Amino acid sequence: MRTIAAAGLLFLLFFGPDIFAQDFKPSKTQFMIRGYGHSGLNYEKVNDEDPDVSYVGATFAPMFLFKHSDRLLFEAELEFELEDGEVKVGFEYANFNYVLNKYITARAGKFLLPFGTFMERLHPAWINRLSTLPLGFGHDGVAPSSGIGVELRGSAPIGSGKINYSLYMINGPVLVTSAMDPEEAGMLRFENFEDNNGNKAVGGRLGVLPLSNSSVELGVSFYNGLAGNTGSQYENVAASLYALDFSYVKQISAIKGILDIKAQYTQSNVSDANYYEMAPGDTIPVSYTFANTSNAYFAQLSYRPSMASGFIKNVEIVGRYSTLATPEGAEWEQEASQFAIGVNYWLSWRSVLKFSYQITESVGGHGNTGANTTKGMFAHWALGF
Amino acid sequence: MNKIKIISGIIAVMILTITLYSCTAQRAAASKKSGAQLWGENCIRCHNIPSPGDYNDVDWETIGLHMRIRANLTEEEIVKIVEFMKTVN
Repeated sequence: MRTIAAAGLLFLLFFGPDIFAQDFKPSKTQFMIRGYGHSGLNYEKVNDEDPDVSYVGATFAPMFLFKHSDRLLFEAELEFELEDGEVKVGFEYANFNYVLNKYITARAGKFLLPFGTFMERLHPAWINRLSTLPLGFGHDGVAPSSGIGVELRGSAPIGSGKINYSLYMINGPVLVTSAMDPEEAGMLRFENFEDNNGNKAVGGRLGVLPLSNSSVELGVSFYNGLAGNTGSQYENVAASLYALDFSYVKQISAIKGILDIKAQYTQSNVSDANYYEMAPGDTIPVSYTFANTSNAYFAQLSYRPSMASGFIKNVEIVGRYSTLATPEGAEWEQEASQFAIGVNYWLSWRSVLKFSYQITESVGGHGNTGANTTKGMFAHWALGF
Repeated sequence: MNKIKIISGIIAVMILTITLYSCTAQRAAASKKSGAQLWGENCIRCHNIPSPGDYNDVDWETIGLHMRIRANLTEEEIVKIVEFMKTVN
Protein backbone atom coordinates (compact mmCIF):
# COMPACT_ATOMS: atom_id res chain seq x y z
CA MET A 1 0.00 0.00 0.00
CA ARG A 2 2.82 2.33 0.97
CA THR A 3 4.57 1.50 -2.28
CA ILE A 4 1.49 2.44 -4.31
CA ALA A 5 1.11 5.71 -2.39
CA ALA A 6 4.78 6.54 -2.89
CA ALA A 7 4.51 5.79 -6.60
CA GLY A 8 1.43 8.02 -6.80
CA LEU A 9 3.26 10.86 -5.11
CA LEU A 10 6.23 10.50 -7.43
CA PHE A 11 3.88 10.48 -10.42
CA LEU A 12 2.23 13.70 -9.25
CA LEU A 13 5.63 15.23 -8.51
CA PHE A 14 6.94 14.62 -12.02
CA PHE A 15 3.79 14.87 -14.13
CA GLY A 16 1.49 16.93 -11.90
CA PRO A 17 2.54 20.34 -13.19
CA ASP A 18 1.79 19.29 -16.77
CA ILE A 19 -1.60 17.88 -15.81
CA PHE A 20 -2.57 21.00 -13.87
CA ALA A 21 -1.17 23.23 -16.60
CA GLN A 22 -3.60 21.56 -19.01
CA ASP A 23 -6.43 22.05 -16.51
CA PHE A 24 -5.72 25.78 -16.28
CA LYS A 25 -5.32 26.38 -19.98
CA PRO A 26 -7.38 29.52 -20.67
CA SER A 27 -10.57 28.98 -22.58
CA LYS A 28 -11.30 30.72 -25.85
CA THR A 29 -14.25 32.53 -24.32
CA GLN A 30 -13.63 34.98 -21.52
CA PHE A 31 -15.88 36.77 -19.06
CA MET A 32 -14.84 39.83 -17.08
CA ILE A 33 -16.52 42.18 -14.69
CA ARG A 34 -15.12 45.68 -14.75
CA GLY A 35 -16.71 49.03 -13.99
CA TYR A 36 -16.46 51.77 -11.42
CA GLY A 37 -17.85 53.15 -8.19
CA HIS A 38 -17.78 56.43 -6.39
CA SER A 39 -19.02 58.09 -3.25
CA GLY A 40 -18.61 61.46 -1.61
CA LEU A 41 -19.81 64.50 0.24
CA ASN A 42 -21.65 67.40 -1.43
CA TYR A 43 -22.20 70.91 -0.07
CA GLU A 44 -24.57 73.05 -2.15
CA LYS A 45 -26.02 76.44 -1.37
CA VAL A 46 -28.58 78.26 -3.56
CA ASN A 47 -28.55 82.04 -3.10
CA ASP A 48 -28.97 82.79 0.62
CA GLU A 49 -30.87 79.63 1.46
CA ASP A 50 -29.62 77.13 4.00
CA PRO A 51 -26.99 74.88 2.46
CA ASP A 52 -27.69 71.27 1.61
CA VAL A 53 -24.91 69.05 2.93
CA SER A 54 -25.20 65.35 2.13
CA TYR A 55 -23.16 62.26 1.66
CA VAL A 56 -24.04 61.20 -1.87
CA GLY A 57 -23.25 58.70 -4.49
CA ALA A 58 -22.41 55.23 -3.34
CA THR A 59 -22.69 54.52 -7.03
CA PHE A 60 -21.78 51.03 -8.19
CA ALA A 61 -21.59 50.56 -11.95
CA PRO A 62 -20.51 47.02 -12.93
CA MET A 63 -19.63 46.44 -16.57
CA PHE A 64 -19.84 42.93 -17.99
CA LEU A 65 -17.58 41.88 -20.84
CA PHE A 66 -17.99 38.57 -22.58
CA LYS A 67 -15.36 37.85 -25.24
CA HIS A 68 -16.81 35.05 -27.31
CA SER A 69 -13.96 35.06 -29.83
CA ASP A 70 -11.32 37.40 -31.17
CA ARG A 71 -14.07 39.09 -33.19
CA LEU A 72 -17.20 38.88 -31.05
CA LEU A 73 -17.67 40.82 -27.82
CA PHE A 74 -20.75 41.44 -25.70
CA GLU A 75 -20.71 44.36 -23.27
CA ALA A 76 -23.29 45.54 -20.76
CA GLU A 77 -23.34 48.00 -17.88
CA LEU A 78 -25.73 48.49 -14.98
CA GLU A 79 -25.67 51.43 -12.61
CA PHE A 80 -26.88 51.19 -9.03
CA GLU A 81 -27.26 54.56 -7.36
CA LEU A 82 -28.74 55.89 -4.11
CA GLU A 83 -31.00 58.79 -5.00
CA ASP A 84 -34.00 60.40 -3.30
CA GLY A 85 -34.00 57.80 -0.54
CA GLU A 86 -34.10 54.75 -2.79
CA VAL A 87 -31.88 52.57 -4.91
CA LYS A 88 -32.14 53.39 -8.59
CA VAL A 89 -30.98 50.89 -11.16
CA GLY A 90 -29.94 52.16 -14.57
CA PHE A 91 -29.55 49.97 -17.63
CA GLU A 92 -26.74 51.91 -19.25
CA TYR A 93 -26.04 49.72 -22.26
CA ALA A 94 -25.99 46.16 -23.56
CA ASN A 95 -24.74 45.41 -27.05
CA PHE A 96 -23.09 42.93 -29.37
CA ASN A 97 -19.91 43.91 -31.19
CA TYR A 98 -18.52 42.02 -34.18
CA VAL A 99 -15.25 42.95 -35.86
CA LEU A 100 -15.98 42.56 -39.58
CA ASN A 101 -12.48 43.47 -40.77
CA LYS A 102 -9.55 45.77 -39.94
CA TYR A 103 -11.62 48.87 -40.48
CA ILE A 104 -15.23 48.04 -39.63
CA THR A 105 -16.92 46.81 -36.45
CA ALA A 106 -20.69 46.25 -36.34
CA ARG A 107 -22.67 46.87 -33.16
CA ALA A 108 -26.27 46.14 -32.21
CA GLY A 109 -28.23 46.77 -29.03
CA LYS A 110 -28.26 49.67 -26.59
CA PHE A 111 -25.00 51.56 -26.79
CA LEU A 112 -23.44 54.83 -25.68
CA LEU A 113 -23.67 57.26 -28.56
CA PRO A 114 -20.52 58.74 -30.03
CA PHE A 115 -22.17 62.16 -30.10
CA GLY A 116 -19.18 64.22 -29.12
CA THR A 117 -16.90 62.33 -26.77
CA PHE A 118 -18.02 63.16 -23.23
CA MET A 119 -20.78 60.62 -22.71
CA GLU A 120 -19.12 57.77 -24.57
CA ARG A 121 -15.60 58.08 -23.23
CA LEU A 122 -15.31 60.56 -20.36
CA HIS A 123 -18.34 60.43 -18.07
CA PRO A 124 -17.39 57.52 -15.70
CA ALA A 125 -16.49 58.94 -12.29
CA TRP A 126 -12.94 57.55 -12.35
CA ILE A 127 -12.30 59.21 -15.75
CA ASN A 128 -14.22 62.48 -15.31
CA ARG A 129 -11.75 64.87 -13.67
CA LEU A 130 -14.51 66.63 -11.69
CA SER A 131 -17.28 65.29 -9.46
CA THR A 132 -20.03 66.85 -11.56
CA LEU A 133 -21.02 66.76 -15.22
CA PRO A 134 -20.71 69.88 -17.39
CA LEU A 135 -23.91 71.83 -18.04
CA GLY A 136 -25.90 70.30 -20.88
CA PHE A 137 -25.25 66.67 -19.91
CA GLY A 138 -27.32 64.35 -17.74
CA HIS A 139 -30.97 65.05 -16.89
CA ASP A 140 -32.39 67.88 -19.03
CA GLY A 141 -29.26 67.63 -21.14
CA VAL A 142 -28.95 68.80 -24.71
CA ALA A 143 -26.79 65.89 -25.81
CA PRO A 144 -28.06 62.30 -26.17
CA SER A 145 -26.14 59.71 -24.18
CA SER A 146 -27.33 56.36 -25.51
CA GLY A 147 -29.64 54.81 -28.08
CA ILE A 148 -31.02 51.46 -29.25
CA GLY A 149 -30.17 50.38 -32.77
CA VAL A 150 -27.26 49.38 -34.96
CA GLU A 151 -23.91 50.97 -35.65
CA LEU A 152 -20.85 50.62 -37.86
CA ARG A 153 -17.64 52.05 -36.47
CA GLY A 154 -13.89 51.78 -36.88
CA SER A 155 -10.65 53.56 -37.52
CA ALA A 156 -7.90 53.67 -40.09
CA PRO A 157 -4.41 55.14 -40.39
CA ILE A 158 -4.15 58.10 -42.75
CA GLY A 159 -0.58 59.16 -43.42
CA SER A 160 1.11 59.54 -40.05
CA GLY A 161 -2.22 60.25 -38.33
CA LYS A 162 -5.53 58.40 -38.28
CA ILE A 163 -9.26 58.85 -38.50
CA ASN A 164 -12.12 57.15 -36.69
CA TYR A 165 -15.76 57.07 -37.62
CA SER A 166 -19.18 55.94 -36.46
CA LEU A 167 -22.49 55.72 -38.30
CA TYR A 168 -25.60 54.55 -36.47
CA MET A 169 -29.35 54.16 -36.84
CA ILE A 170 -31.44 54.15 -33.64
CA ASN A 171 -35.01 54.57 -32.43
CA GLY A 172 -34.34 58.27 -32.01
CA PRO A 173 -35.69 61.01 -29.79
CA VAL A 174 -39.19 61.59 -28.39
CA LEU A 175 -40.69 65.07 -28.37
CA VAL A 176 -42.23 65.99 -25.03
CA THR A 177 -45.71 67.47 -25.63
CA SER A 178 -47.87 69.57 -23.33
CA ALA A 179 -50.04 66.53 -22.65
CA MET A 180 -47.01 64.52 -21.52
CA ASP A 181 -45.44 67.22 -19.33
CA PRO A 182 -46.47 70.87 -19.77
CA GLU A 183 -43.34 72.12 -18.02
CA GLU A 184 -41.07 70.29 -20.46
CA ALA A 185 -43.10 70.77 -23.66
CA GLY A 186 -40.70 70.92 -26.60
CA MET A 187 -37.85 69.06 -24.91
CA LEU A 188 -36.31 65.93 -26.40
CA ARG A 189 -36.09 62.67 -24.50
CA PHE A 190 -33.50 60.31 -25.84
CA GLU A 191 -34.41 57.15 -23.91
CA ASN A 192 -36.71 55.76 -26.59
CA PHE A 193 -36.97 52.03 -25.92
CA GLU A 194 -39.87 51.58 -28.36
CA ASP A 195 -39.91 53.83 -31.40
CA ASN A 196 -42.75 56.34 -31.21
CA ASN A 197 -42.82 56.78 -34.98
CA GLY A 198 -41.74 54.90 -38.08
CA ASN A 199 -38.71 57.10 -38.51
CA LYS A 200 -35.31 56.03 -37.28
CA ALA A 201 -32.78 58.64 -36.24
CA VAL A 202 -29.47 58.58 -38.06
CA GLY A 203 -26.28 59.87 -36.56
CA GLY A 204 -22.55 59.59 -36.66
CA ARG A 205 -19.20 61.04 -35.77
CA LEU A 206 -15.96 61.59 -37.64
CA GLY A 207 -12.82 61.99 -35.56
CA VAL A 208 -9.50 63.14 -37.00
CA LEU A 209 -6.18 62.63 -35.22
CA PRO A 210 -3.79 64.55 -37.45
CA LEU A 211 -0.63 63.92 -35.44
CA SER A 212 1.26 60.67 -35.25
CA ASN A 213 1.39 60.79 -31.45
CA SER A 214 -2.47 60.81 -31.26
CA SER A 215 -2.33 63.82 -28.94
CA VAL A 216 -4.89 65.89 -30.86
CA GLU A 217 -8.36 64.76 -31.86
CA LEU A 218 -10.98 66.88 -33.58
CA GLY A 219 -14.47 65.49 -34.01
CA VAL A 220 -17.75 66.41 -35.64
CA SER A 221 -21.02 64.61 -34.83
CA PHE A 222 -24.57 64.75 -36.14
CA TYR A 223 -27.92 63.25 -35.12
CA ASN A 224 -31.15 63.67 -37.14
CA GLY A 225 -34.62 62.17 -36.84
CA LEU A 226 -38.33 62.78 -36.41
CA ALA A 227 -39.34 63.18 -32.78
CA GLY A 228 -43.15 63.42 -32.68
CA ASN A 229 -45.63 60.57 -32.28
CA THR A 230 -47.07 59.10 -35.46
CA GLY A 231 -50.63 60.32 -36.06
CA SER A 232 -50.26 63.35 -33.80
CA GLN A 233 -49.96 66.99 -34.81
CA TYR A 234 -46.24 66.60 -34.05
CA GLU A 235 -45.49 63.74 -36.44
CA ASN A 236 -43.43 65.96 -38.75
CA VAL A 237 -41.45 67.65 -35.99
CA ALA A 238 -37.80 66.89 -36.62
CA ALA A 239 -34.77 67.07 -34.36
CA SER A 240 -31.39 67.99 -35.78
CA LEU A 241 -28.37 68.03 -33.49
CA TYR A 242 -24.67 68.47 -34.07
CA ALA A 243 -21.58 68.60 -31.92
CA LEU A 244 -17.95 69.62 -32.26
CA ASP A 245 -15.35 68.18 -29.95
CA PHE A 246 -11.67 68.73 -29.30
CA SER A 247 -9.12 66.84 -27.26
CA TYR A 248 -5.46 67.41 -26.56
CA VAL A 249 -3.58 65.16 -24.15
CA LYS A 250 0.19 64.96 -23.94
CA GLN A 251 3.01 64.60 -21.48
CA ILE A 252 5.23 67.61 -22.15
CA SER A 253 8.79 67.70 -20.86
CA ALA A 254 8.88 71.49 -20.77
CA ILE A 255 6.15 71.61 -18.13
CA LYS A 256 7.14 68.29 -16.55
CA GLY A 257 3.69 66.83 -16.72
CA ILE A 258 0.54 65.92 -18.55
CA LEU A 259 -1.63 68.61 -20.07
CA ASP A 260 -5.18 67.50 -20.82
CA ILE A 261 -7.64 69.75 -22.64
CA LYS A 262 -11.16 68.68 -23.57
CA ALA A 263 -13.94 70.72 -25.14
CA GLN A 264 -17.31 70.07 -26.75
CA TYR A 265 -19.99 72.25 -28.30
CA THR A 266 -23.49 70.86 -28.80
CA GLN A 267 -26.45 72.42 -30.58
CA SER A 268 -30.00 71.10 -30.82
CA ASN A 269 -32.59 72.36 -33.31
CA VAL A 270 -36.21 71.17 -33.23
CA SER A 271 -38.88 72.19 -35.77
CA ASP A 272 -41.39 74.83 -34.72
CA ALA A 273 -44.57 73.48 -33.15
CA ASN A 274 -47.48 74.66 -31.09
CA TYR A 275 -47.65 73.78 -27.41
CA TYR A 276 -50.35 74.55 -24.86
CA GLU A 277 -50.48 76.02 -21.39
CA MET A 278 -53.28 76.68 -18.95
CA ALA A 279 -53.08 80.20 -17.56
CA PRO A 280 -54.45 80.76 -14.02
CA GLY A 281 -58.22 81.28 -14.19
CA ASP A 282 -58.51 80.03 -17.78
CA THR A 283 -60.56 77.01 -18.74
CA ILE A 284 -59.22 76.63 -22.25
CA PRO A 285 -55.50 75.97 -22.91
CA VAL A 286 -53.66 78.75 -24.72
CA SER A 287 -51.39 77.90 -27.64
CA TYR A 288 -47.83 79.18 -27.76
CA THR A 289 -44.68 78.49 -29.75
CA PHE A 290 -41.00 79.32 -29.66
CA ALA A 291 -37.78 78.87 -31.64
CA ASN A 292 -36.71 75.50 -30.25
CA THR A 293 -32.93 75.81 -30.31
CA SER A 294 -30.63 74.89 -27.41
CA ASN A 295 -26.88 74.82 -27.09
CA ALA A 296 -24.25 73.92 -24.55
CA TYR A 297 -20.51 73.84 -24.43
CA PHE A 298 -17.72 73.05 -22.04
CA ALA A 299 -13.98 73.50 -22.00
CA GLN A 300 -11.81 71.72 -19.46
CA LEU A 301 -8.11 71.91 -18.72
CA SER A 302 -6.17 69.75 -16.30
CA TYR A 303 -2.51 69.48 -15.47
CA ARG A 304 -0.67 66.80 -13.54
CA PRO A 305 3.08 67.10 -12.84
CA SER A 306 3.64 63.44 -13.63
CA MET A 307 7.37 63.88 -14.18
CA ALA A 308 7.91 65.30 -10.69
CA SER A 309 8.88 63.06 -7.80
CA GLY A 310 7.12 62.04 -4.61
CA PHE A 311 3.69 63.23 -3.51
CA ILE A 312 3.37 66.01 -6.08
CA LYS A 313 3.39 63.71 -9.14
CA ASN A 314 0.02 62.31 -8.07
CA VAL A 315 -1.63 65.72 -7.71
CA GLU A 316 -3.73 67.13 -10.52
CA ILE A 317 -5.39 70.51 -10.89
CA VAL A 318 -8.43 70.96 -13.11
CA GLY A 319 -10.67 73.79 -14.25
CA ARG A 320 -13.82 73.66 -16.35
CA TYR A 321 -16.18 76.24 -17.80
CA SER A 322 -19.56 75.24 -19.22
CA THR A 323 -22.72 76.96 -20.41
CA LEU A 324 -26.28 75.97 -21.28
CA ALA A 325 -28.86 77.99 -23.18
CA THR A 326 -32.37 76.60 -23.73
CA PRO A 327 -35.11 78.19 -25.91
CA GLU A 328 -36.48 81.60 -25.06
CA GLY A 329 -40.23 81.31 -24.56
CA ALA A 330 -40.19 77.67 -23.45
CA GLU A 331 -41.38 76.69 -19.97
CA TRP A 332 -37.84 75.37 -19.44
CA GLU A 333 -36.12 78.50 -20.76
CA GLN A 334 -32.75 78.86 -19.09
CA GLU A 335 -29.41 80.63 -19.43
CA ALA A 336 -26.74 79.16 -17.22
CA SER A 337 -22.99 79.24 -16.86
CA GLN A 338 -20.78 77.29 -14.52
CA PHE A 339 -17.16 77.48 -13.45
CA ALA A 340 -15.59 74.59 -11.59
CA ILE A 341 -12.10 74.18 -10.21
CA GLY A 342 -10.64 71.18 -8.45
CA VAL A 343 -7.63 69.38 -7.03
CA ASN A 344 -7.33 65.62 -7.45
CA TYR A 345 -5.01 63.14 -5.81
CA TRP A 346 -4.42 59.90 -7.70
CA LEU A 347 -4.01 56.93 -5.36
CA SER A 348 -3.34 54.73 -8.38
CA TRP A 349 -3.94 54.98 -12.11
CA ARG A 350 -7.64 54.23 -11.56
CA SER A 351 -8.43 55.51 -8.07
CA VAL A 352 -8.77 59.21 -7.34
CA LEU A 353 -9.73 61.55 -4.52
CA LYS A 354 -11.44 64.61 -6.01
CA PHE A 355 -11.95 67.95 -4.24
CA SER A 356 -13.71 70.70 -6.15
CA TYR A 357 -15.59 73.97 -5.92
CA GLN A 358 -18.06 75.22 -8.49
CA ILE A 359 -20.32 78.20 -8.96
CA THR A 360 -23.34 78.12 -11.26
CA GLU A 361 -25.20 81.25 -12.30
CA SER A 362 -28.55 80.66 -13.95
CA VAL A 363 -31.64 82.52 -15.03
CA GLY A 364 -34.83 80.52 -15.55
CA GLY A 365 -35.18 76.77 -15.55
CA HIS A 366 -38.14 74.65 -14.55
CA GLY A 367 -40.82 76.90 -13.01
CA ASN A 368 -38.12 79.44 -12.25
CA THR A 369 -38.01 82.95 -13.63
CA GLY A 370 -35.46 84.54 -11.33
CA ALA A 371 -31.69 84.44 -11.17
CA ASN A 372 -29.94 81.88 -9.02
CA THR A 373 -26.40 81.50 -7.86
CA THR A 374 -25.52 78.02 -6.69
CA LYS A 375 -22.24 77.37 -4.97
CA GLY A 376 -21.04 73.88 -4.34
CA MET A 377 -18.13 72.01 -2.80
CA PHE A 378 -17.53 68.36 -3.47
CA ALA A 379 -15.25 65.71 -2.00
CA HIS A 380 -15.49 62.40 -3.87
CA TRP A 381 -13.62 59.15 -4.12
CA ALA A 382 -13.84 57.29 -7.43
CA LEU A 383 -12.45 53.90 -8.34
CA GLY A 384 -12.32 52.09 -11.67
CA PHE A 385 -12.02 48.33 -11.53
CA MET B 1 -21.60 87.20 -22.64
CA ASN B 2 -18.31 89.13 -22.74
CA LYS B 3 -16.89 86.72 -20.18
CA ILE B 4 -17.80 83.81 -22.44
CA LYS B 5 -16.12 85.46 -25.44
CA ILE B 6 -12.94 86.17 -23.47
CA ILE B 7 -12.71 82.62 -22.16
CA SER B 8 -13.49 81.20 -25.61
CA GLY B 9 -10.76 83.38 -27.09
CA ILE B 10 -8.20 82.27 -24.51
CA ILE B 11 -9.04 78.63 -25.13
CA ALA B 12 -8.83 79.09 -28.90
CA VAL B 13 -5.37 80.67 -28.61
CA MET B 14 -4.21 77.88 -26.31
CA ILE B 15 -5.49 75.22 -28.68
CA LEU B 16 -3.74 76.88 -31.64
CA THR B 17 -0.48 77.20 -29.70
CA ILE B 18 -0.55 73.61 -28.56
CA THR B 19 -1.42 72.32 -32.01
CA LEU B 20 1.46 74.23 -33.58
CA TYR B 21 3.77 72.97 -30.85
CA SER B 22 2.69 69.42 -31.44
CA CYS B 23 3.26 69.72 -35.18
CA THR B 24 6.95 70.09 -34.52
CA ALA B 25 7.06 66.77 -32.70
CA GLN B 26 8.53 63.67 -34.29
CA ARG B 27 6.15 62.20 -36.84
CA ALA B 28 6.15 58.44 -37.20
CA ALA B 29 3.31 56.17 -38.29
CA ALA B 30 1.99 53.51 -35.90
CA SER B 31 3.70 50.83 -37.99
CA LYS B 32 7.07 52.18 -36.87
CA LYS B 33 6.15 52.44 -33.19
CA SER B 34 6.53 49.93 -30.40
CA GLY B 35 3.66 48.65 -28.28
CA ALA B 36 5.08 50.54 -25.31
CA GLN B 37 5.00 53.82 -27.19
CA LEU B 38 1.45 53.25 -28.46
CA TRP B 39 0.37 52.26 -24.92
CA GLY B 40 1.71 55.55 -23.59
CA GLU B 41 0.18 57.66 -26.33
CA ASN B 42 -3.30 56.17 -26.68
CA CYS B 43 -4.56 55.06 -23.23
CA ILE B 44 -3.90 58.52 -21.83
CA ARG B 45 -6.33 60.11 -24.29
CA CYS B 46 -9.18 59.14 -21.92
CA HIS B 47 -7.70 57.81 -18.66
CA ASN B 48 -4.39 57.32 -16.91
CA ILE B 49 -1.99 54.77 -18.33
CA PRO B 50 -2.88 51.36 -16.88
CA SER B 51 -0.39 49.17 -15.10
CA PRO B 52 0.34 45.97 -17.09
CA GLY B 53 0.46 43.95 -13.87
CA ASP B 54 -3.13 44.71 -12.93
CA TYR B 55 -4.48 42.08 -15.31
CA ASN B 56 -3.27 38.75 -16.66
CA ASP B 57 -2.64 37.86 -20.30
CA VAL B 58 -6.15 36.56 -20.87
CA ASP B 59 -7.74 39.66 -19.34
CA TRP B 60 -5.63 41.90 -21.56
CA GLU B 61 -6.98 40.09 -24.63
CA THR B 62 -10.54 40.90 -23.53
CA ILE B 63 -9.72 44.47 -22.52
CA GLY B 64 -7.85 44.95 -25.79
CA LEU B 65 -10.87 43.95 -27.88
CA HIS B 66 -13.11 46.18 -25.76
CA MET B 67 -10.79 49.19 -26.06
CA ARG B 68 -10.27 48.63 -29.77
CA ILE B 69 -14.01 49.19 -30.20
CA ARG B 70 -14.71 51.78 -27.50
CA ALA B 71 -11.67 53.99 -28.12
CA ASN B 72 -11.55 53.42 -31.89
CA LEU B 73 -7.98 52.12 -31.92
CA THR B 74 -6.66 50.64 -35.14
CA GLU B 75 -6.04 46.90 -35.37
CA GLU B 76 -2.30 47.44 -35.57
CA GLU B 77 -2.28 49.66 -32.49
CA ILE B 78 -4.25 47.30 -30.28
CA VAL B 79 -2.30 44.20 -31.36
CA LYS B 80 0.96 45.91 -30.43
CA ILE B 81 -0.38 47.32 -27.16
CA VAL B 82 -1.80 43.95 -26.00
CA GLU B 83 1.42 42.14 -26.91
CA PHE B 84 3.36 44.70 -24.89
CA MET B 85 1.05 44.33 -21.86
CA LYS B 86 1.37 40.54 -21.99
CA THR B 87 5.13 40.76 -22.25
CA VAL B 88 5.68 42.96 -19.22
CA ASN B 89 2.88 41.96 -16.82
